[in-house]
Amino acid sequence: MKKLILIAACAAISTGLCAQTKPAESKSAADSLLNSMDAGNTKAEPVIATFKSTRLILGATTETVKKNNLNFLVIHRFGDIGGSEGGGKTLFGLDNSSDIYIGFEYGLSDNLDIDFGRSKYNQQVDLGLKYAMLHQTSDDATPFAITLLGKTGVKAYTANQGEFPTFADRLDYVAQAIIARKFSSNFSLQLTPTFVRHNSPFPFLAGNNRGFFALGAAGRLKVTKRMGIVVDYAHPFSSFRDKATGDNAFYDPLGIGIEIETGGHVFTIVFSNTKAISEASYLAGSQSDWGKGQFRLGFTISRMFSFNKKAKEGKTY
Amino acid sequence: MKYICLILLAWLSIKNQASQDLYACKNVKVSLFSSAPLEDITASTSTGTSVYNPATGDLAFSVNIRSFQFPKSLMQEHFNENYMESDKYPKATFKGKIKETIDVTKNGTYPVTATGDLQVHGVTQTRTITGTAVVNNGTVSLSSEFMVKCADHKIEIPTLVFKKIAESIKMNVSGTYTVAKSS
Repeated sequence: MKKLILIAACAAISTGLCAQTKPAESKSAADSLLNSMDAGNTKAEPVIATFKSTRLILGATTETVKKNNLNFLVIHRFGDIGGSEGGGKTLFGLDNSSDIYIGFEYGLSDNLDIDFGRSKYNQQVDLGLKYAMLHQTSDDATPFAITLLGKTGVKAYTANQGEFPTFADRLDYVAQAIIARKFSSNFSLQLTPTFVRHNSPFPFLAGNNRGFFALGAAGRLKVTKRMGIVVDYAHPFSSFRDKATGDNAFYDPLGIGIEIETGGHVFTIVFSNTKAISEASYLAGSQSDWGKGQFRLGFTISRMFSFNKKAKEGKTY
Repeated sequence: MKYICLILLAWLSIKNQASQDLYACKNVKVSLFSSAPLEDITASTSTGTSVYNPATGDLAFSVNIRSFQFPKSLMQEHFNENYMESDKYPKATFKGKIKETIDVTKNGTYPVTATGDLQVHGVTQTRTITGTAVVNNGTVSLSSEFMVKCADHKIEIPTLVFKKIAESIKMNVSGTYTVAKSS
């Protein structure tokens, strides 16, 4: 009888112990197993949406058009708000258009797109390739993104000063390395070292540099989830441009605006001094001065079309 | 008699251990479906992780928001950037208990009810979710379909795209679990 009680007690204790301690242990075991399985799953992700669009105001951003997507761009720059061409008689420049750009950007892969665009200014036709070389990662192993952009342009207008003896003289080239960092979900900044080359100097003035370096700086500060303040600035390093004075003086391109995103569309409404939209044109030929009222209203409409039918499975981004 | 006592103890502990097996699945398929007047949106991932303890009924899920694949890359970007804010809230999780006991040694189909905390977009909601468990030769398959209301998890849909995104998103979760570790 004693032994039976002993057995019963043993059984009770053992099951009792099991009942009391095991579930607590196993719960933490389940948690730790889930955590250990998750550990392999929480690898650093590439940072997305550093900018909402492939263009900010003046220049390109690090964003590329994803595979089989088409980005359709309409960019408009009105006439001078003030100065001799502005004022009430042109409804503060709204009667004029300094430049109109129609562009198409198609994603060949998630990191490479091909760009085509035509500007009113100089009747410039641009063809370019944009390659996202490096993506910023969430763990900051790669602290910034680098995108390379190369463009070739043709000035199609009829020469009137003998600036185009041969067809090759109509060509211009832009090479850019766009370096951007998304500091937080609301704040992104980019620097754009650029080389510009015009085979025939532009503007066609004696002593003008055919090729020169330029540095762009641009940023976005989101004020709501879908609206942000954008600033875009560039400085060409050109001795000719630094020395030019009077009517031929050059002014650094600067644009300030707001950017509104509505799933699929990105609208940008800006003020800028520069008249031209194509990089080769505005980096080389910005001769409008904010101080003289030679700045203008402008807008950009960017619309993304997707030609992907099926969901991509098993890709990380 | 002492031997019997020892054998009994040993047997009890063995039996207990046997039923303490943890079941795990590393490729839980999670898909979402939004049906709105202007647009139907589907997205899926098959990299969810889950652990199930048949002895206690404990069930835990975790899925990376960034792993969801959309047919349109822009949608995927907006999903992460505007709605789920996956840089701040990288995971959606569920931690709870299955009420019913599933006999993992007996093949069959069991209707199950899990109660626990569903965390999406950093907001935790206590939910009771029904599903089905299928035991087949030592593996357990769990599947469930349930609705997640965007407003419950503070996922804002602007009025501008109200007709493109549903207020409630239908979720499908399924996975086949195998024994991962005995405790």
